[in-house]
Amino acid sequence: MKTFSRIVLCLAATLAGVSAAPVVSADAFVQGGPIGSQTSDGYNALGPVVTQPIEFPHNRHAGTRANGGMEIDCLYCHTYARRSAVSGIPRLSKCIGCHNMIESVKEKPRIKTLLAYWDRREAIPWKKVHDLPDFVRFNHERHIQRFIFDQGRPSREACGYCHGDVASMTTARRVKAISMGWCVSCHEKEHRIDAVSFKTGHGPNDCWQCHH
Amino acid sequence: MIRFGMTANSVASGVNRRDFLNLVGLGGTASVLAGCGNTSIESGVELVQSYVQPETFVVPGVGVYYASTCTQCGSACGIMGKVREGRILKLEGNPQSAISGGKICGLGQAGIQGHYSPDRLKTPMLKENGVLKATTWEKAMSLLSGTVSFTAQGPRRVVLTGPTSGHLQILLKAMPQSGAATDHVVYDSLSTAVAASVNLKMFGVEQTVGLIDKAGLVLSFGNDFLGAGDSPVAAARQYARFRKAERRGILIQIEPKMTLTGANADRWVVIAPGTEGVLALGLVRELLQRKEFANNLSPNLIAAVEPYNQTEVSHITGVRGDLIPRIAATLWEHSPSLVLAGRYPQGHAHGSHNMAAIALLNVVLQNQGKTLWREAELPFPQMAPALGNFKSLRQLNTQMAAGDVGSMLIYGTNPVYSTPDFMRFADNLQKVPFKAAWVTELDETAMHCDLVLPLMSPLEDFGTHVAAAQSDGMEISIQQPLMEKLHPEARSFGDSLLELLKQAKPESYKSFPDYYAYLKSAVVNAKPAFDPKVEDEEFWENTLSAGVLRRPAALLPLPAIEFSADLVRQPLRESRDAAYPFVLIPAVRPSMRDGKAANLSWLQESPDPLTTVVWDSWAEIHPSTAKQLQVNEGDVLVIKSAQGSIRAKAYLIPGIHPGSVAVPIGQGHESYGRYATNVGVNPFKILDPIFDEETGELALYATRVAIMKTDQNERFTKDEGATNLQQGRKLVATLAADQVDLAKETPFVIR
Amino acid sequence: MSLDNLISNWSKLRVRRPQVDQYKDSPYKWAMVIDLDSCTGCNACTTACYAENNLPVVGKKRFLEGQAMHWLRIERYWGEGEESTQEFPEQGAAFLPMMCQQCESAPCEIVCPVGATHHTPDGLNSQVYNRCIGSRYCSANCPYKVRYFNWYNYPESAWPSPLELQLSPDVTVRSKGVMEKCTFCVQRLTEAKSKARTEKRNVQDGEVVTACAQACPTSAIHFGNIADSSSTVAKMWKAQQVELSADKQKKDMKHEKMPAASEVASGVGASVEAEKLRGYRVFEELRTYPSVVYLERIRSGEV
Repeated sequence: MKTFSRIVLCLAATLAGVSAAPVVSADAFVQGGPIGSQTSDGYNALGPVVTQPIEFPHNRHAGTRANGGMEIDCLYCHTYARRSAVSGIPRLSKCIGCHNMIESVKEKPRIKTLLAYWDRREAIPWKKVHDLPDFVRFNHERHIQRFIFDQGRPSREACGYCHGDVASMTTARRVKAISMGWCVSCHEKEHRIDAVSFKTGHGPNDCWQCHH
Repeated sequence: MIRFGMTANSVASGVNRRDFLNLVGLGGTASVLAGCGNTSIESGVELVQSYVQPETFVVPGVGVYYASTCTQCGSACGIMGKVREGRILKLEGNPQSAISGGKICGLGQAGIQGHYSPDRLKTPMLKENGVLKATTWEKAMSLLSGTVSFTAQGPRRVVLTGPTSGHLQILLKAMPQSGAATDHVVYDSLSTAVAASVNLKMFGVEQTVGLIDKAGLVLSFGNDFLGAGDSPVAAARQYARFRKAERRGILIQIEPKMTLTGANADRWVVIAPGTEGVLALGLVRELLQRKEFANNLSPNLIAAVEPYNQTEVSHITGVRGDLIPRIAATLWEHSPSLVLAGRYPQGHAHGSHNMAAIALLNVVLQNQGKTLWREAELPFPQMAPALGNFKSLRQLNTQMAAGDVGSMLIYGTNPVYSTPDFMRFADNLQKVPFKAAWVTELDETAMHCDLVLPLMSPLEDFGTHVAAAQSDGMEISIQQPLMEKLHPEARSFGDSLLELLKQAKPESYKSFPDYYAYLKSAVVNAKPAFDPKVEDEEFWENTLSAGVLRRPAALLPLPAIEFSADLVRQPLRESRDAAYPFVLIPAVRPSMRDGKAANLSWLQESPDPLTTVVWDSWAEIHPSTAKQLQVNEGDVLVIKSAQGSIRAKAYLIPGIHPGSVAVPIGQGHESYGRYATNVGVNPFKILDPIFDEETGELALYATRVAIMKTDQNERFTKDEGATNLQQGRKLVATLAADQVDLAKETPFVIR
Repeated sequence: MSLDNLISNWSKLRVRRPQVDQYKDSPYKWAMVIDLDSCTGCNACTTACYAENNLPVVGKKRFLEGQAMHWLRIERYWGEGEESTQEFPEQGAAFLPMMCQQCESAPCEIVCPVGATHHTPDGLNSQVYNRCIGSRYCSANCPYKVRYFNWYNYPESAWPSPLELQLSPDVTVRSKGVMEKCTFCVQRLTEAKSKARTEKRNVQDGEVVTACAQACPTSAIHFGNIADSSSTVAKMWKAQQVELSADKQKKDMKHEKMPAASEVASGVGASVEAEKLRGYRVFEELRTYPSVVYLERIRSGEV
């Protein structure tokens, strides 16, 4: 009864999305919940801890200066996200571009591992943290274009709608449900279409936008 | 189309490109097949597509197009492969190629399946005690080196290939020149060598160029230019323009069994097999009665066509008498015309005479210089295609039987499958002490070899190709890898040839580390003919990026040649052999050709256009024949020639001469991967030893057979429903040409 | 489309017939024109469809059971009437490329019990695999017989390794129990629309075509956006006087009202008779309002 379970899953998610939508605050999308707790938008959405080949410190790169970070923009490294449906992972040469120059940390264990990959010209086998079922097609490019380039929001906020506050984590962990109901709860809301006009619009709500 | 522009800068060479073309094991291919049954979200399990240092145009999730050349048939169409995450996903036509014009046929599309085939040969195999066992390339190369000798003494050392062109052809020619072999034999089971020989005698060149789109009327004697012709995509593009011309072109097709082209004719005329030449002479006689044409022929020729009056021609060919003056009148009214001859008239003992009589129509109609030309000079004639024939294989076969052949290197051809039983080719092959074959999948010929070597797929290899009879400038088509090789042991045939040549003539070839280096250096050397101003490296990258080297060149006029009336002499009417009352027509399918494509499942499941049958062989007979034999659709028939018999289900089709039975070529493989084996029968096997008297080519359509009904009946695996009639529903409506004004329709671009 | 959206807009989403100028304010209405005079029946389009849309090869046995999965097939007819009248097909065969006609009033949509097939804002008839429960009502109700059901779990058998590497990541690989059909290559449309939106414009004519149209060696298949009146396909629809929202075209009614022979002789209506337009839609009388216009094939009767 695989087919039956599938439809139940879809409908249940849809209903949950509808009922939850009115009570969600905008902040909930931006902040995500503190790691290890239930998120404030009502979803117990915390994903598993993913052990990566290198324990990449997002907080050190993108975190606030106050917390010892360097406030590097998400899109500086995750550059594919604005150009493609899939964000991919930054290429190894991107890491090396900076780390070749930073003598002070070259002897640190994580950096040594990184440089060893580079010496072998071997791609790092990063694991996927935000996986979707194979019948779902999410488009990073559209969301980034809309929220970052059209509405002028900071990438930390815009990326955070789905990925949570990665800048406060080391390796990323899923904190949002990323289920259909959760997607739709946002797509049903009116947003200003850009930073200057008062015109609003919402995301597409056609099944075929994501399922084909 | 999306991102065509990418090809312009997605030049691909060196390490970075490799990084992109490499099938990154770290990509999401593991879950490709999970499908929509996979509702699970498996965060932290799958790997993300990860690159070390890709080119700037490489973006995960975005496909990049690379130009290459299709090798599924000899037309050398420019193609593009959509590459993503190191995988080729789809093949398209390359708009920069004047041959394909951005279009692609079904056979070409399916080339990708040969590349990804689950039955690819992965390692070299050596026969031990009659069984092929895996071996190493070192061992294989040392065995191959043993075949390189530097004396002209002793048994022959033969390289046997299918039709080739470009730089591979240059290396193959060098094999006998360098002493690494004694002969290079080019074999094509579906060759057009008869046409080539007739063209040479009548027009001074082996390959004429017929411009369909410049003709007002095309009269085709069994030339399946839209289907299994020499260059179906280029011809179909010309055909589209021909139909959309200010005055819509008219197509008349005359043949014993309907081809795809015949199915598109304004008027399809059935003719008794082998009598095409008689009808052609009848038409010539008819045309000569007009004063415009009366002076076009020598008195000898006029006398030669004199006996072919309407009654006589109609009697021999079975074509209705009144049709002959009507066709002649239309030929005149819609000039310039173009008369084409195809495989059917060639395949008889008098094939050359048949073809000459048809070509005579072009002479009488003075089509030379209007619709019939000679192709422009190829700047590098050594790259011209070697089209192959049957006669040289027959000679080789005799030498093999006599024990005169010491070794054979076989590439790009499968003669054990495509030769008739009477030749006993497989038995004779056993008399050759050492034979090696380069294949992507173990075919029948490879199974009979001592050494079998895994070949790169055409989508993994470099190469250059030149098409015969190009009509739009001169084009060298460039083949480049669209993907890193799937099986590490597979190698390019060019590399093996080069290694053998290096042993025979080290001083000439030692500067080329591999075939790629040889090819690159050769292409760069051709720079002055194309783009002399750019740097070498840039020229090479531009060439790979475009996929073609093009030079605009005007077609050349055909010389006027005197030829004797004997050329068009038609045989006396044969008496029917009562034991074998039917003519066997081994029909060439557009998607299967000589059987090379039978291992591609898309093509097995692609319905034959006229019968809609899939995954099978069948015997096409006319409903009136079926009635006479009391045969219903699906009745299993035994088709017996003097050489042997095959079994196939009867398919009743109106588009066939009642005195013949057609069985398609391509099926009946004994070995060629899971999709080709145990499907249908091979009509090549039962062909009679009849040859064209002038050229010695095998007469494909001259075998006589008896049809015996068995008591078995099987359902057909076919796409059509219970009826093949529209039953008054407006499905495909037809308008008479004089009821429509095409000039008033919205114009659009025909590529 | 969420469930509440489906329920609250039930009547709107399940339109019984398209309105005149239905797509006047929409950026897109995808449509086709297939010229049967150019179509040679060569099967390039059908193979392109297998390559583009991850169609499984079902094999001989299942094909025999009528379980082929070809979204696009070429139908071949020998005659127009009830019976074959000619001994030999003197005007060749008649080929008809048949795929989902993306009906504006689609018989399949109204019978789906779970809303797995519905009309998109672009005027396409969608098929949402993860919503489908395999009731097969849609297929039963389709007059064109262009819906194909996954009787088997093809991901397990149709792509023995490494054939699966050819599968397009942009198209879901369908598993057992779901219905599927031609989508007008929706993955290409989505991609083109996305690119256009990033560049703040609409998709332009010729920017995106379906795989079948791209492959077709004779350019017999035309694909485009008829909401854009400047597109080639919109012009062709207009020139052929085919109205999307009509179940009977005005030009055909003109022909039906054709005068008697006496009137033709007197010149009344002769101009209409002299030149006929070639455009028609298959089974238009069933009020499905298809998005595919076929152009009649032409045969010269001179010989």
